[in-house]
Amino acid sequence: MLGILDDVRLIELSHHLTGAFCAKLLADQGADTIKVEPPGRGDAARHEPPFLAGPPHPNQSSQFLAFNTNKRSITLNLETRTGQRLLQGLVRAADVIIDSFAPGYLESLGLGYETLHQVNPRLILTSITPFGQTGPYRHYLSSDLVEQALGGALIGFGDADKEPMALPQNQTAITAGRNAAIATMAALLYQRATGEGQHIDVSIMEAVVQTPPGHIHQYSFAGNNVARGAAGGQRSVMDGMHLETQDGYVTLTTAGTGGADAMDAWADFLELPELKDPKFKSRQGRTRHWEELRELVVGRLRRWKSHEFFKAAMERRLVVGVVQSPAEVVDCPHLAERGSFMALDHPDLGILNYPGAGFLADGENPVTGSRPAPRLGEHNREIYTELLGLSQHELAQLTAAGVI
Amino acid sequence: MKQTRLLEGIRILALEQVMVVPYATAILADMGAEVIRIEHPEHLDDRRSGPWPDNIPGEQWWNEGGTFAYWNRSKKSLCLDVYTPRGRELFLKLVLLSDIVVDNFRTGTMERLGLDHESLANIKPDIITLTCNAFGSTGPYRAYGSRARTIDSFCGLSSISGYEGGPALRASSNYMDHTGALNNAFLLLLAIYHKRKTGQGLRLDASMYETGIQSIGPALLEVQKGIVQERTGSAHPYWKAPYNVYPTQGTDQWIAISVSSDEEWARLKDAMGQPEWACDARLDTVPGRWEHRKELDRHLAEWTSHGDHVTQMHRLQQHRVPAGAVYSASELLQDPHLEQRGYLASIPPEEATNSGSRRYAGRAFADRPFHMPKVETRMRPAPDLGEHNQEVFRGLLGLSAQEIARLKQEGIVLDRPSANDLASPPQPGSGMGAAL
Repeated sequence: MLGILDDVRLIELSHHLTGAFCAKLLADQGADTIKVEPPGRGDAARHEPPFLAGPPHPNQSSQFLAFNTNKRSITLNLETRTGQRLLQGLVRAADVIIDSFAPGYLESLGLGYETLHQVNPRLILTSITPFGQTGPYRHYLSSDLVEQALGGALIGFGDADKEPMALPQNQTAITAGRNAAIATMAALLYQRATGEGQHIDVSIMEAVVQTPPGHIHQYSFAGNNVARGAAGGQRSVMDGMHLETQDGYVTLTTAGTGGADAMDAWADFLELPELKDPKFKSRQGRTRHWEELRELVVGRLRRWKSHEFFKAAMERRLVVGVVQSPAEVVDCPHLAERGSFMALDHPDLGILNYPGAGFLADGENPVTGSRPAPRLGEHNREIYTELLGLSQHELAQLTAAGVI
Repeated sequence: MKQTRLLEGIRILALEQVMVVPYATAILADMGAEVIRIEHPEHLDDRRSGPWPDNIPGEQWWNEGGTFAYWNRSKKSLCLDVYTPRGRELFLKLVLLSDIVVDNFRTGTMERLGLDHESLANIKPDIITLTCNAFGSTGPYRAYGSRARTIDSFCGLSSISGYEGGPALRASSNYMDHTGALNNAFLLLLAIYHKRKTGQGLRLDASMYETGIQSIGPALLEVQKGIVQERTGSAHPYWKAPYNVYPTQGTDQWIAISVSSDEEWARLKDAMGQPEWACDARLDTVPGRWEHRKELDRHLAEWTSHGDHVTQMHRLQQHRVPAGAVYSASELLQDPHLEQRGYLASIPPEEATNSGSRRYAGRAFADRPFHMPKVETRMRPAPDLGEHNQEVFRGLLGLSAQEIARLKQEGIVLDRPSANDLASPPQPGSGMGAAL
């Protein structure tokens, strides 16, 4: 257990997923992360289906559970004077706030960066919003789909002859959350060197613009927009199209042949001399004759089970993929041996395997802590009494008054 | 406000290819780290990848590719063959002067070269190493290779991507490289933080497969409780309607509209001028709209098809309805919001200090999506091949001119592509968009 960030305290004033994912990346590395939620309903993500035990339940949303590991939860009504005063108390003891409110909302509560900076000059405020703190769209409303659209990613996904197809599972939150974590880490290095905080402005739209592989410079250099279908591998038999095996689908590439002609290597491996036909040699040729090529290749692939094919091809240094379902991923022997998942015990749901840090440090999974996502207000008592020094009596009063 | 070159003084040796590590070190280079990209004199694939300025590879095409420039901006280039004993020896001398060594070779390559973490830590105990490949350095698949799109397959993202009722589709092109690269940048900053706190180095072992599974965490929890996510194209999988992309005037023009509350639905009706089909009490609740979502989508598609996507977006947003034009790159380059925020980056002509950047100065690149008032994060030109050979060999390692000349003769150091590469320049029009 490294606990790289165990000397950092972070307050998450966020709802939905982007800020939560950013804070989770830091919390999993040991940052003491306090998630501040409105009393009553809590974070909106608590109410997003599906719910792991079936019926709607604020502690059982899969999205909330996945993105809030190793955090503590308190409830606090920021729209009350007392709530604002209590938050300032937390700010005094914090290094970072991650917020995802609309631009101007914290200012309207008297909790804007300038005020918080006076309370704690070391404070880093990482604000993550759909369009950023400035610019003509800053008050526009958004969603994962709207971000994928405006960020220029959506137009490239899906079939050329159909409507654009969104990526599933809120990838805009993932990509913006990772960027926000990078910026926050940079600000922590700056803070440790100088004692000063700063206000970081993260735009989800801009994070999406950055995501597709170079569509901006493709246009500014070569003058063309990347066509839809190109990214989806349609008609690319040898480069990403899903191809049937006996028990599923695999994807092929022309990589890994060490400079040898890729089609020759595949012809040998699949025992398909037809693949050496010059018409399949270039990418353009393979696209032109894709149906014939697909039929040839799939004819052979149907003799294989996906994972057996994968191992045999990879041992020959060909590079292939197996289209795995989430169930297969959870059961993957490679991930098990690497210790990629963390098993967390949730009081309502029992032990589940959660994706870990995404890397090993000095040979071990570096995730510090073993908390599943907190129940709403689960840590009110310890944080308000131990960190802010409220008495039990004051806590009870504030709870009754709806502040906590 | 004065901005700091935050990572000035940190030296990174980068044995890196394609994107998943180069893009990570580029982010650190923009923040002031000195990233020395070690390039093999005969493996110039990254410099062959285009796109080319005005679609034409120039006389020094190896310095001019847009994708190379994007993934390697703000770095230095040292052309050195670490597979030779003398090359390896020089590399190890540089390690003594460096903080971080990164690579994305297949598992086993750094060991074979004697450049694995343990070997480096023997001579530089506080060295930080990051290795990132498909499956990581441990586990049964550790020696296998990948492309970003095979990781899409492995991690589960592709299996849940696709149109409603249709087959799974490859989810993206390079998304797994992208998300893996962001993770790698985060890890390097974590390691720097760790070293400043403890004085200790760190061995980071990252895998694209694992950043992939992080990206679909909810689906992985769901399946452990028997919940299987259906493919729904752009539609919402559970409850929001209308929530989809709708055709607008023009060829391949679309608008995304997403309604998640009764208030937003009422405002959408206002924006449309209360058409008869929408004034239906069945549609006034979340469950009602979800039940009738196909019908809603049909009507809305008919309504959107009479206007253009950008005008409709602004009109809907003025009515406080979440809507976004489905932008292409050419539209992003003209978008007033991004322009006002100064989002897109380019190398200004006066900063085009080398052969490559003189050809692509002024051309737009996507930039970082965060603004930090106190940390400078400015893109500088990508290096010409071997541009920093002299600076590194003479300045850092103190080699004489004769010694450098001998290294050149022996083929250990170069500053031009090999004869083979020169004999087969890339084709006009080649590059990412064409290659995909």
